Amino acid sequence: MFQIYLPIAEISVNLVVMLGLGAAVGFLSGMFGVGGGFLLTPLLMLSGIPPAIAVATGANQIVASSVSGTMAHWRRGNVDLRMGVVLIAGGVVGAVVGVFLLKILREAGQAGLMISLTYVCFLGVIGALMLWESVNAMLRARAGKAVSARRSGQHNWIHGLPFKMRFPTSRLYISAIPPLVIGCVVGLLASFLGVGGGFVMVPAMIYLLRMPTNIVIGTAIFQIIFVTAIVTLLHATFNYTLDIVLAFVLVIGGVVGGQFGVRAGQKLRAEQLRALLALMVLGVAIRILLDLVIRPSDLYSIVPFAGS
Amino acid sequence: MRATAFHLVPLLLALVVTPALAKKTAPEPEEEPASQEKVQSDISTRQISIQSNFTGAEILIFGSIDFSDSRTPGEGTYDVIAVVRGPNDPIVLRKKQRVAGIWVNGPSKTYGNVPGFYAVLSSRPVRAIASDETLKGLGIGLSDLDFGRHIADDTEEQAFRSAMIRLKEQKKLFQENDDGVKFIGRSLFRANVTLPVNVPTGRYTVDVYLFRDGAVASKSEGSLEVTKAGIEALIYRLAFKHPFIYGLLGVFLAVTMGLAGWYAFRRD
Repeated sequence: MFQIYLPIAEISVNLVVMLGLGAAVGFLSGMFGVGGGFLLTPLLMLSGIPPAIAVATGANQIVASSVSGTMAHWRRGNVDLRMGVVLIAGGVVGAVVGVFLLKILREAGQAGLMISLTYVCFLGVIGALMLWESVNAMLRARAGKAVSARRSGQHNWIHGLPFKMRFPTSRLYISAIPPLVIGCVVGLLASFLGVGGGFVMVPAMIYLLRMPTNIVIGTAIFQIIFVTAIVTLLHATFNYTLDIVLAFVLVIGGVVGGQFGVRAGQKLRAEQLRALLALMVLGVAIRILLDLVIRPSDLYSIVPFAGS
Repeated sequence: MRATAFHLVPLLLALVVTPALAKKTAPEPEEEPASQEKVQSDISTRQISIQSNFTGAEILIFGSIDFSDSRTPGEGTYDVIAVVRGPNDPIVLRKKQRVAGIWVNGPSKTYGNVPGFYAVLSSRPVRAIASDETLKGLGIGLSDLDFGRHIADDTEEQAFRSAMIRLKEQKKLFQENDDGVKFIGRSLFRANVTLPVNVPTGRYTVDVYLFRDGAVASKSEGSLEVTKAGIEALIYRLAFKHPFIYGLLGVFLAVTMGLAGWYAFRRD
């Protein structure tokens, strides 16, 4: 019933399950204002899609969800175009490196392992930090103190770097190097993990670059469109791992689910949202870690010969 | 006697065969020596198309024994073995091992020549039908395939080999069915083969062997083609022949649908 054959993954999946998966991830990403790739790609792998195809197809899905997101932010003037361009420039470099890294690892048969390990490390660290921060924020809010992440006017080591640029939308005058590096890291993550990288970029822009929070999210999501689009293109061209049928199904689910997520998110407080998101991130990390640590049911696996 | 057998063929064809096959007529045997039995067989579907609703396919191999010496169905004079073989491909088999508490892909072995699909169906266990040498010479049975790799007698090679067969069997890409060929009446037989959803595309050969007293009395060859069809074939070709355009299409679709989603649900 409702089985659909995926031409590149060469397996048959249940259409309803995949639509539901897209919608569920879309809902969460709408609610938390994140791309959702960090949930989608592991879930695709858990449902039997080969890791490399899950990564490329996940990236393609994020293109769609970040286009929707950017439009909403753009109209509110929350996109720092200049910062976005700098981030994209770094992102392209990272994306190219990641795509070829994945190609090499795939041929060595270690792609699945490295993707899983990187997920565990990143999600574990980010999840723990977010949980720590949001619990503290909740405690402070309860104690009646003001919660502010931005300490404007305060200077840190970032301001000592050369190649300074003016970013009028963000009211910043800082070196172009940190945004380039952040963009590069995000591009690497996007091509290697099939994630948008918002979960790394947003904290980095708030805490390192000291950008205003509302502009951070709009700019991050704007940059994610381009990075994931490039990642999709590179994977399709060099690794042949994009399954357009699967992407199409996920995008339909995601676009619809995302809209409901945005509405649900407005009913929750920011710290509560962050704590929930942190728990989910940690949950995914633990799930992937268990798969690595528990003895697999079959030690052997067949992979197509790389040279063919 | 002979006349009955030939009347049954069209009857069976009418019962089980798809329109595509109606074109095919059983070839008239020319003046053959009357005592020499001969196997004739065909496949219900010559062409299997993988489309978006593909979940696997069932094919029927059917045939008859001409000039049969057998008088009753259960006599057991004849045995039939049908071998369905998909295109060969090289594969790599990897074994996981524990490194610092984590299971990682460790040693691997490459097999140069592994059939993408391989099914042996027989009217009785193949070992009971013919001797090991006979079977090996014909390449019948999983234990007689070398998969394009010299399998030394050490335990590791053997463990890899049996793991590969087990994995292929789990995916229904390797099948052995001792009871897969059924006789209908005196000289007709049929065998059902299920092709799973992950069958590789390409040309499949179907060899039907008629055994008498442990030796091949007659053989009939056929083939079928598994191809991706419709939009699936189009996507597959585009993805591998023009990957850049395919990638652009993926991005274009995502951007368009993202915009459409935003427009449909916008609230300003």
